[in-house]
Amino acid sequence: MHSGFKNHNYVNTVIISNFDVYKFIGMIKFFTQFGLYFLLLKKVFSKPEKPVIYYKQTMSEFVYLGLNSVGIITIISFFMGAVITLQTAYNTENPIYPAYLIGLGCRDSIILEFSSTVAALILAGKVGSSIASEIGTMRVTEQIDALEMMGINSASFLILPKLIATLLFNPVLTLISICVGIFGGGIAGTFAGVITMEDYIYGIQYAFIPFYIVYSLIKTVFFAFIITSISAFQGYYVDGGSLEVGRASTKAVVYSSVLILLFNVILTQLLLS
Amino acid sequence: MINVKNLYKSFNGKSVLNDISVTFETGITNLIIGRSGSGKTVLLKSLVGLLDIESGEIWYENTLFNKLDFKDRKAIRSEMGMLFQGSALFDSLTVEQNVRFPLDMFTDKSAEEKIERVNFCLNRVDIVNANKLFPAELSGGMKKRVAIARAISLNPKYLFCDEPNSGLDPITAILIDALIKELTEEYSMTTIVNTHDMNSVMEIGEKIIFISEGIKYWEGTRNDVLNSDCEILNDFVFANSLAKKLKFTDK
Repeated sequence: MHSGFKNHNYVNTVIISNFDVYKFIGMIKFFTQFGLYFLLLKKVFSKPEKPVIYYKQTMSEFVYLGLNSVGIITIISFFMGAVITLQTAYNTENPIYPAYLIGLGCRDSIILEFSSTVAALILAGKVGSSIASEIGTMRVTEQIDALEMMGINSASFLILPKLIATLLFNPVLTLISICVGIFGGGIAGTFAGVITMEDYIYGIQYAFIPFYIVYSLIKTVFFAFIITSISAFQGYYVDGGSLEVGRASTKAVVYSSVLILLFNVILTQLLLS
Repeated sequence: MINVKNLYKSFNGKSVLNDISVTFETGITNLIIGRSGSGKTVLLKSLVGLLDIESGEIWYENTLFNKLDFKDRKAIRSEMGMLFQGSALFDSLTVEQNVRFPLDMFTDKSAEEKIERVNFCLNRVDIVNANKLFPAELSGGMKKRVAIARAISLNPKYLFCDEPNSGLDPITAILIDALIKELTEEYSMTTIVNTHDMNSVMEIGEKIIFISEGIKYWEGTRNDVLNSDCEILNDFVFANSLAKKLKFTDK
């Protein structure tokens, strides 16, 4: 009995110490990744070798990462606005509430949350996975080595144009999303017969706070930085083959999405409190 | 000339290159031979600075390359060309844009001069009417030749080739070997080729070093390689049955 008790303690000690070791290794890995991320950013923001080439790269990224996302943002925003209007209408079916509140509710939901955060989550999936897989494939096929070999700062050359393009274009996407979302809400509300167009337009104009747009755009800029830098980081440090590129792409979407949600809370508290 | 002294490199505590010392001569093709996983690619990537070494010295003429920082390495790197194992052509660029890329980044030539140089390099490696094709539309041999054209576009002093024949049929492999040798002589470059292809060894191996498990075991020319006393080199050289038969026929 006595020796059994002693053995039990020994097992516990072994389990606890193993657990501590795993925790410690996990922490080391986390801080290593954290450090690598900031070292990569330092490389990204160093002086460009040939600004003309960077300018051309940035222009093509505007098309690839920005203009090519207009379609999906438009479709999603239209239906998002439609659903918000219908849900608001069906949840406020009360003669006490004036009809124009549906328009007001739709407007604020779209501006404050949907066009910045939900659009960012969709872009994390579309743009984030594309960036991670593009850079990851370049890594495993030695294209990044070829750039480094030529004496080119590969991190800056590949990532900076993407960052500039998304930082400048994502706010435009957010504005498009706001406009299309509000328009979609009006169309859906009118067609479903839950609100007249006059009431809806009155609602979207009623008690409008312009700062909400600024707040939405500030959030978008932060989210654009998160999506591009995290995805590029995942792709840049891929080690292995196509399987690892796929994993990096998944990680890029997951980590970007989690960070977007986290920063959404932080920025909301900082900007609206 | 590239001079390597007492080079050490390890990954996660496991030694990959162990006390490598060698001189790569100018104007000839220097071959690094050895089995897969022997450390050839690590040696080549260490030479060009893609991997940092633990200790030792890498001299490019009178410059200690491995002690230079990224900015100072740039000057020497502009004199290097490299042919990667998988060609490493930029997927999003056409053949012409790939060869033009180093010219865009490092020269102030006019657009016409650049095109002229691109066409010259492509003609030199026998690539015709393919300027507007993308790498995905090329065969393995064509990709290698375009990669060579890109590597020589800046008139490099040093040419590094990592397994230039991998994945190629024997005839194309011989053509690539011949091209590398011709270019080396034509531009008086210091060329270093990684290979485990014995055909290449016999065709272009003007100076050969043999490494196994990160250790340099032998150094000589293609004339010496068949008559060496080094047992581990003989195991490598006469690994296939045809080579064994030839050896015994000679005897």
